[in-house]
Amino acid sequence: MGHTHGHEHGHHHHHEHGHEGADTTLPAAFDTAVPDEALTPEQRSRRSLLRRAGLLGAGLAAGSVLAQGAATPAYASTGGRRKNGYLWLAGDHHIHTQYSSDGKYRVGDQVRQGAAHGLDWMVITDHGSDAHARIGVDKVNPDIREARDTYEDTLVFQGLEWNIPAAEHGTVFVHPGRNEVAVLKQFETDYDGSVKGATDSTPANEALAVAGLTFLSEQVRSRRVKDVLMLANHPARKGLDSPHEIRAWRDATPASHQIAVGFEGAPGHQAGGIEKTYGMGVARGLYDNSPSANSFAGYPPESYRTWGGFDWMTATVGGLWDSLLAEGRPWWITANSDSHQVYTDTAVRGGPDSDFNLNGRHTDPVYGGKIDTTQGDYWPGQYSRTHVGSDGFSYAAVMDGIRAGRIWVDHGGLLSGLDARVAGGGRWATLGGALHVRKGTRVTLTVDLGLAGGANWAGFVPKLARVDVVQGDVTGPVSDRDTLSAPTARVAKSYEVNKSSGTVRLTYDLGAVDRPVYVRLRGTDGNRSAVGLRGAAVDPAGPAVDVLGDADPWKDLWFYSNPVWVLPS
Amino acid sequence: MSESHVVGVDTGHTGALRGADHLLRAFAAELGPDAAVSGCTHHVRDGLRPHTALSFALPSERAARALWQRLARDGPGRSGDAPGVAFGDERHGPGESAAGAALAAAEHAARTGGRAVLYPGSGAVTGVLTVARLLEVCAVERVAVLGSPEAPSPETLLVTREHVRPEWREGRLVLVAMPAAGGTLVPFEVPDPTPCCADH
Repeated sequence: MGHTHGHEHGHHHHHEHGHEGADTTLPAAFDTAVPDEALTPEQRSRRSLLRRAGLLGAGLAAGSVLAQGAATPAYASTGGRRKNGYLWLAGDHHIHTQYSSDGKYRVGDQVRQGAAHGLDWMVITDHGSDAHARIGVDKVNPDIREARDTYEDTLVFQGLEWNIPAAEHGTVFVHPGRNEVAVLKQFETDYDGSVKGATDSTPANEALAVAGLTFLSEQVRSRRVKDVLMLANHPARKGLDSPHEIRAWRDATPASHQIAVGFEGAPGHQAGGIEKTYGMGVARGLYDNSPSANSFAGYPPESYRTWGGFDWMTATVGGLWDSLLAEGRPWWITANSDSHQVYTDTAVRGGPDSDFNLNGRHTDPVYGGKIDTTQGDYWPGQYSRTHVGSDGFSYAAVMDGIRAGRIWVDHGGLLSGLDARVAGGGRWATLGGALHVRKGTRVTLTVDLGLAGGANWAGFVPKLARVDVVQGDVTGPVSDRDTLSAPTARVAKSYEVNKSSGTVRLTYDLGAVDRPVYVRLRGTDGNRSAVGLRGAAVDPAGPAVDVLGDADPWKDLWFYSNPVWVLPS
Repeated sequence: MSESHVVGVDTGHTGALRGADHLLRAFAAELGPDAAVSGCTHHVRDGLRPHTALSFALPSERAARALWQRLARDGPGRSGDAPGVAFGDERHGPGESAAGAALAAAEHAARTGGRAVLYPGSGAVTGVLTVARLLEVCAVERVAVLGSPEAPSPETLLVTREHVRPEWREGRLVLVAMPAAGGTLVPFEVPDPTPCCADH
């Protein structure tokens, strides 16, 4: 059948090992052995969030799919510690600071906000540029190291927002270590589209992007850094990331240790669509561009706008993302803040002595004396979250979890936990994994959903109204590398959720599986829906296009999970 | 209008479409009394450097030929590289630019592609008007709404933002619109889209 899953995903099946590995310490907020009184204010805030979300203490163990002797859902484990499952750590891999020409905040500001907003890991990603390559990439490092020391329960990675030659932006980040700055600096100097004047969509520039990924792969292979990941950001925003480029990035590095592993399912700047009276009054996600000569000719106007806050590539059932999944190869989605300047914040860029090009950064922000409603961003973790199933609390574990695709994303705190297991023939697999069974084995998807356990950052308890199971056939690699649709993907089943708190279990019977397939999950608060772009037979109630100038992101919440494959043989 | 009345011009414009619009209007202004019936922008993606070319549909073959001869003889009358010009089977200028001009002219003549900046009635499309009124006052033949298989009701209000850029699709001039605040529609193309790295 042409897929390469067996090797890439085989290790996901050994969930029972329960080894402690390098993850010796758990953040104090997670560790119920640490009394509340012993926590710092930040830790206490984090713990109360976990508690409200149902992530701490007694949870769902009794009703778990794994009650029959397998693992317990991560969020259900008493003491917050997985016994045999994963620690689901919330994070954000797309955050800017004063080291971006269009940024404002100190690293410490963003990390403090991220920690308070419930994030366990964050990636600082200032824009690749001449000033950043020369100065910023070095100067930001001491700030990041200081933040690691100050917020010891928050993993803070150094990365950069790569101007992918011939394409859009992408997060590149490394495992902390002696060479973290050196590798990032060399990469940016040699392979950034802006630094190299290589932004045009030409074959030569596309090749430079692939060469950059090969360079990163080589840094890992030679152990200069422990790990590197690349994730494409706001991929459909300007039509610059063509399907063949995305496939080229995915395939640029060995399947055994792929560097480019996914794209943003939902972009940042989610407050951009808030109505003019109170906000920017423009497009949600600031997705307001139209085709240019550099954009891929095959992308329709629909691809340039967001759908329920999600990028068209992810939001379209049977669309580009499904075409990648149908190939049977990993490609994951994430959701981030892209936080530059935050909606309703009161800080303004420092000055007037600020000289970004001279200093590689803006001076520290100052109090501006008024609420700024002309910005479209949220703080890291305030609205968008990327939940990664991690085998412990460590930098390596988060990177491993991302590479393995153990990821689900939500907006507005729509869910507090998600545990999806596809089981059959005495085995099971979770998000990002593959279940290998004999042909004809009956397979069942079981999903335990932790409903919102408390108010989100807009001050209300979100309600999950409906969950969809999307299923598609695995048809193997495509001959046309610009393929952007998957004819067999469709919403296979929808579930109304008539419950407002606690947990919900859904079961979906895949039947006796006779061909390779995948399933993924999507859910909504039910406020806005429309027939999907590939028709009602494919997606009768998908996300609607976001209204220009009137898209309150808190009134249109969705979650998406990454897929699980079922591979009969 | 027949194929022979469209002249393609390729100056190698890169960058924002707004710049291409200015260029197009400048050319059109120079035409004076032989004003173009319509002027479009076209993406040229075949060459080494993706860029935007222009096309002008002229009201008569005589007018088109006059424009062709002037451009082929004098250039565009502004600084920059010699433009490529195309008219029917005739080409002028550097090979790549001439090919870009020919592509633009061919798309426009066949009405299969091109984003119209100037078109009959384009000057009348301002402020807020109903879809019905839009179809009445200008050459736009159809309004398509993103994410909706159906045509909008004729009473729906369109907020033009003084920037209405329909495009040729299968022989018809179609305006793509999208839902906007207050139950209105706006053209898909935003007059001032968010530039990259400009505070975002």
